[in-house]
Amino acid sequence: MSQDEAPVALDIEQLSVVFDTPDGPLSAVNDFALEIRRGECVGVVGESGAGKSQSFLAVMGLLAANARVSGQARLGTEPLIGRSIAELNQFRGVKLSMIFQDPMTSLTPHMTVGEQIAESIIHHLKISADAARARALALLEQVQVTDAPRRLDQYPHELSGGMRQRVMIAIALACDPEVLIADEPTTALDVTIQAQILALLAKLKRERGMAMALITHDLGVVAGIADRVAVMYAGRVVELGTVHEVLKAPKHPYTAALLASMPRIDDTGTGPLPAIGGQPPNPRRLPPGCAFGPRCERVDETCRAARPALTGHERRVACHHPLERP
Amino acid sequence: MLSYALRRIAGVIPTLFIIITLSFFVIRIAPGGPFDDEQTLPPEIKANLEAAYGLDKPLLEQYGRYLAGLVQGDFGPSFKFKDFSVTELIAQGLPVSLMLGLSAVLLALLVGIPLGTLAALRQNSPTDYGIMSVAVLGIALPGFVTGPLFALVFGLHLRWFPVAGWEAGELRYLVLPVVTLALPVIAYIARLTRGSLLEVLRTNHVRTARAKGLPERRVILKHALRPALLPVVSYLGPATAFVITGSLVVETVFGLPGSGRYLVQGAINRDYTLVMGMIVVYGSLTLTLNLIADLLYGWLDPRVRYD
Repeated sequence: MSQDEAPVALDIEQLSVVFDTPDGPLSAVNDFALEIRRGECVGVVGESGAGKSQSFLAVMGLLAANARVSGQARLGTEPLIGRSIAELNQFRGVKLSMIFQDPMTSLTPHMTVGEQIAESIIHHLKISADAARARALALLEQVQVTDAPRRLDQYPHELSGGMRQRVMIAIALACDPEVLIADEPTTALDVTIQAQILALLAKLKRERGMAMALITHDLGVVAGIADRVAVMYAGRVVELGTVHEVLKAPKHPYTAALLASMPRIDDTGTGPLPAIGGQPPNPRRLPPGCAFGPRCERVDETCRAARPALTGHERRVACHHPLERP
Repeated sequence: MLSYALRRIAGVIPTLFIIITLSFFVIRIAPGGPFDDEQTLPPEIKANLEAAYGLDKPLLEQYGRYLAGLVQGDFGPSFKFKDFSVTELIAQGLPVSLMLGLSAVLLALLVGIPLGTLAALRQNSPTDYGIMSVAVLGIALPGFVTGPLFALVFGLHLRWFPVAGWEAGELRYLVLPVVTLALPVIAYIARLTRGSLLEVLRTNHVRTARAKGLPERRVILKHALRPALLPVVSYLGPATAFVITGSLVVETVFGLPGSGRYLVQGAINRDYTLVMGMIVVYGSLTLTLNLIADLLYGWLDPRVRYD
């Protein structure tokens, strides 16, 4: 891969998100750091509550009102954190787009598909309604919506889930963004449609040279289209590397355990699928040492006393006792 | 949309028929009759009167005759206002009542929705608390308290508007009654709008609209407010019923020659035809507003049209 030479499209540093709740502050993301280069797809994996979505919602400025965000995120050279809504709106939907998990509820029910795609084109690119409609039609064809001219005037409830997710993608791509954040884009869809949507995203990324963050809990999805992968646990990145390295030779015991708990088509074993014991930690009461410690087989006094830092350059891991190559 | 509208309209007729039938028999079950006054009539005279109005016939036959008259637009003669037919009485009072009621509903929508929206957008701010406190007062205070209060302050002291009375075509006579009537509806609509908008603002499609980089104004007006108005529209039917009953009080307080008093007087006097006339008119009115609400529903949310 020659992505190292490509310029960084989205650079996130020391991003933290804390929610003020009636029961006190709840820390959802801690010191999240990630850079995504042009033309690169980075998979962000982790279980529910690991802070994957919250990190990127923070970048988009879409968090709930009770969230406090600190740290930095830059789109090219433009800082994003701490900017007003009006300032963010120069980038959102234009250079920085996001698609969401639930296509059934993420489209406005009372507006036609055409209106919803054309809307941001008219607003951001200042072109006529007719030209925007023509562009919306072209987008629908690019995202391989069948019978595109008719779809323009249909309402979201008249489309299937897969079709709606394609419309979401068309909306996100409407103004030709530099960075696309895809938050569990296939989770709500059935398996055959999942594969189609992933193939479509991979194709669009390649054709447009976009930087893409793919948030998912499914390592299989990551293996399919990502170049690099960041594994998150309890609000932190615990392992980072190319997909090949991380999936073939995980260094963090959590990544290894996640991989072991995935069913494999070539698996001939007959025993039960391994599961990770215990529960993810309560974000209000994180252990002082390694957050994965209580569930880890390799845990010792060092792990309980001090939280391991994310070390390494290209290949990073946050563990006192990383796994060696088998 | 057209077939949806036609289906809704077709549903109105049987409902109206049931209202007419029920009220016809219920009012006959009530003790007493139109000619039972403090001063008892000699039995022969009473019998003659009842024969003249067809009240001596079997009840079912009377019902049949009434329906037959109704189909031809004839509400029959009033038993108490002897020189007038019910149609004439309603034609006198209804325009005033309609103007009062519809202005009140319109005012409530025009003021209530923006107030509720403002409160939702400034959630938990002094603006929000201020609007909601006034709204609670508006709901809690009945028209017979606010009406005379307004007449006192804005009529008697400030002399901005007439205290009471009515001159055809003079809108200033309508201001205080309309405001009195609209106040609780404004309050209710503001509360409904606030609650429902707060809910819609948390939905996924609003997040999508924000992710598109649209200005907040457009996100709210174009993406959030329309679905948020669904509960307000559902409330239009009950609001009409409220305004109708409220207008009885308001018309009395401000001495307006509306038709509201006919319903009360007609019921007390057992003026069967007058009560029935008022029920038919107010029933149709309520059904029409419910129908409008249904049609608005279909417009606000395209998913409703295909049930």
